[in-house]
Amino acid sequence: MKFIDKKTIEIDRELSELDTFTLDFVKILKKYVKYVLVSGYVSILLGRARVSEDVDVIIQKIDFSIFQALYKELKKNNYYCLNAEEDSTIYEYLSDNLAVRFAKRDKTIPNVELKWVKHKFDKLALENTISIKLSKGDLKISHLELQIAFKEEVLKSPKDLDDANHIKEVAKEHLDNKLIRKYKEMLRGFY
Amino acid sequence: MGFIEENEKERKSFVRKWAKYVRTHSDKDWSKQQNVIINSALKSANMTREQFFKMKGETNFVKYKDQIL
Repeated sequence: MKFIDKKTIEIDRELSELDTFTLDFVKILKKYVKYVLVSGYVSILLGRARVSEDVDVIIQKIDFSIFQALYKELKKNNYYCLNAEEDSTIYEYLSDNLAVRFAKRDKTIPNVELKWVKHKFDKLALENTISIKLSKGDLKISHLELQIAFKEEVLKSPKDLDDANHIKEVAKEHLDNKLIRKYKEMLRGFY
Repeated sequence: MGFIEENEKERKSFVRKWAKYVRTHSDKDWSKQQNVIINSALKSANMTREQFFKMKGETNFVKYKDQIL
């Protein structure tokens, strides 16, 4: 794992089925909207020894016409939405700040949990991404300081705390601990 | 120390040791081992949409023509 600069990490990893699924989905998604991967998959991508049935993705708010085009291409590439079939219904969920899930046809796992940017921390994640360079393409993840702070200050489950500890260990020479503390303070005021 | 505390201590210790392993070994090395866990779990995951949403507690916003969960 090479930390090239503050915005780029190169991982010469053997791709897992979860990585291949995510790369395939993102290849379509990024044509239509700015995105960022957050939560559990970030730590898995960085080597955490666990599995996740879903990949959390935050996207910018988009117009219905753009969503329609995205959904059309996803369907063409054998994806379906687990929540609803009609594009207008799925868009309504997103507009109501609900997450919607997409998987490959005839499967439920793994799936992508897609949601619109909702508050300032989602916005921060979307605006401060790290590009993960893999053998078959790039993935945008949230900057690690925010991921750690969110898991330690908001989520706090054993799984999330372990995710945070994993990231802190693998990226320890590259983390801004002052920024983690700052985010924690901001999160305390927000939640 | 009780069972729960002992278990938690072991889990944390494993996370720390594994992360150190990731940091000190080649990406190909650790990812090959990690993929055994990921790929086998995904292969054996066999859930219907209904079962998945129930597990996630998200049954209140699933609208398909054929069924409302």
